Amino acid sequence: MNPPASDLDVSVNNVTVSYPNGHVALHDASFRLQAGSICALVGINGSGKSTLFKAIMGIVKPAKGEVRIAGRPVRDALKLNLVAYVPQSEEVDWTFPVSVWDVVLMGRYGYMNFLRIPRAEDRRIATESLERVGMVDFRERQIGELSGGQKKRVFLARALAQRSRVILLDEPFTGVDVKTEGAIIDLLRALRNEGHIMLVSTHNLGSVPEFCDHVVLVNRTVLASGTTAQVFTEANLTRAFGGVLRHFRFGESTVQKHDGRAVTVLTDEERPLVFGKDGHLEYTHREGREDVVEQRAETEDDK
Amino acid sequence: MMETLLTPLHYEYMLKAIFVSGLIGGVCAFLSCFITLKGWSLMGDALSHSVVPGVAVAYQLGWPFATGAFITGLLAALGMGFVKSKTRLREDAVIGVVFTAFFALGLLLISLYPSRVDLRSIVFGNILGISDPDIWQVVIISAVTLIVLGLKWRDLLLFCFDPNQARAIGLNVTVLHYTLLTLLSATAVAALQTVGACLVVAMLVTPGATAYLLTDRFGRMIAIAVGLGVGSSLVGAYASYFFDGSTGGCIVTLQSAVFVLALVFGPKHGLLAARAKRRAASLA
Repeated sequence: MNPPASDLDVSVNNVTVSYPNGHVALHDASFRLQAGSICALVGINGSGKSTLFKAIMGIVKPAKGEVRIAGRPVRDALKLNLVAYVPQSEEVDWTFPVSVWDVVLMGRYGYMNFLRIPRAEDRRIATESLERVGMVDFRERQIGELSGGQKKRVFLARALAQRSRVILLDEPFTGVDVKTEGAIIDLLRALRNEGHIMLVSTHNLGSVPEFCDHVVLVNRTVLASGTTAQVFTEANLTRAFGGVLRHFRFGESTVQKHDGRAVTVLTDEERPLVFGKDGHLEYTHREGREDVVEQRAETEDDK
Repeated sequence: MMETLLTPLHYEYMLKAIFVSGLIGGVCAFLSCFITLKGWSLMGDALSHSVVPGVAVAYQLGWPFATGAFITGLLAALGMGFVKSKTRLREDAVIGVVFTAFFALGLLLISLYPSRVDLRSIVFGNILGISDPDIWQVVIISAVTLIVLGLKWRDLLLFCFDPNQARAIGLNVTVLHYTLLTLLSATAVAALQTVGACLVVAMLVTPGATAYLLTDRFGRMIAIAVGLGVGSSLVGAYASYFFDGSTGGCIVTLQSAVFVLALVFGPKHGLLAARAKRRAASLA
């Protein structure tokens, strides 16, 4: 039923989305993803990341332009189960009376008959998907009784059970422990090698170069898209984030004895916490911290 | 003693009332699981009041009451959807404005043409005086609702839980939305007969809410809610004979009493269980 790997692509062509209140959330956005890639969707809150997701899932209709998945309109692609979605944790009602098993089986609905009664095949694939994320032992749990990382893994298992070639992940690392983050990244890499396309909305900038081979930068439109090396530059990020991005330039900070080629730390939302040599707490700016700088210079000289 | 307890069953009107109440109680309870999980309780209240002008007009014209009620119920639902999408008002304000407008129109119509319909029986229900054609309407509505819910409950459950996923697997979410809305107005019309416009919302919310406090599984939630809905309606209708009181009041009081029991003694989410858990945590 699914098209061969080589045909798989997601192309967003000149998409403009405006809401009924007249707000233009996205203007003339274009990019294209090919089979076997993990792409980060990066931008500030309100930059149109979620609107772009909604356009790819057919929840909002573009006023202009179109989204095509494997050469098909979104509607047809959804009918073929080409697209799976892993929601943000905040979007899910965790008190809902469903078990882990119920949720994973929901990924199989598109393959089931009119009454949605699971066949042996559906149960086999659901079990396999739970095994793949290491959640088989939790299948009878109500979803609210899980940790942040486990919750995420259940919804990943649902996407796996759906056997979709395109997977959209909305902030997959929020509320997730470091170990689970590593496990999720390993899983995404394995899926990439199997020829899937993953589009990951994130503001965890530091993790992007670690596992994403492509990046789409958005701010009301697509500012840049391409390989991580091409797109993930300081200049582009400053353009995407404007004044929102926090800088930690080592040349200006209290960190001393670096050579002239200063290192810069960039982060969205949170300020980075930097410990320098000898485990000193470092501050963003030297101004007003002259005493700290002086004191450290002295202790350095003592050695 | 036994003789006294069996007296109500000797009257045909009592038997009919008990049967119709039980049927409606069960259907409403089934639907109430979806309504409480979707967060549409207020919507249920709104629709049950919005059907009143339809009932008034239908009786006036000699139509089956359900057709008129159904038309105004859906008009109200569409009206709310329209006002909400075109203004910046919050949903509760939109619902409040639209349903009271319909209800007021209904009251006005009934007071202008008082001969054909009795205001009391619409607002407070009159199950003891239900006519045979009305019973048939209730039976048909119930059967259709049970068939749709029985066939499509998994899709509706997914729609309530995660509409985005429903869309991602190619389900038509708009159709599901209007299916649930249509079922809601249809059962509101049926329940109007038993408990009246004022108390319909209780039949459409309380059983589901009670079951939700007692279990973490949807299948069990439906079973508990339906058992509670049928049981309380049968017993309530039967007991109202002895009290010589309002049947609707009897049924809903019973349902509310069970809700309070579940709230206090619920094994997992009840108040006592929560207190025991807190105590255990502080001792550990």
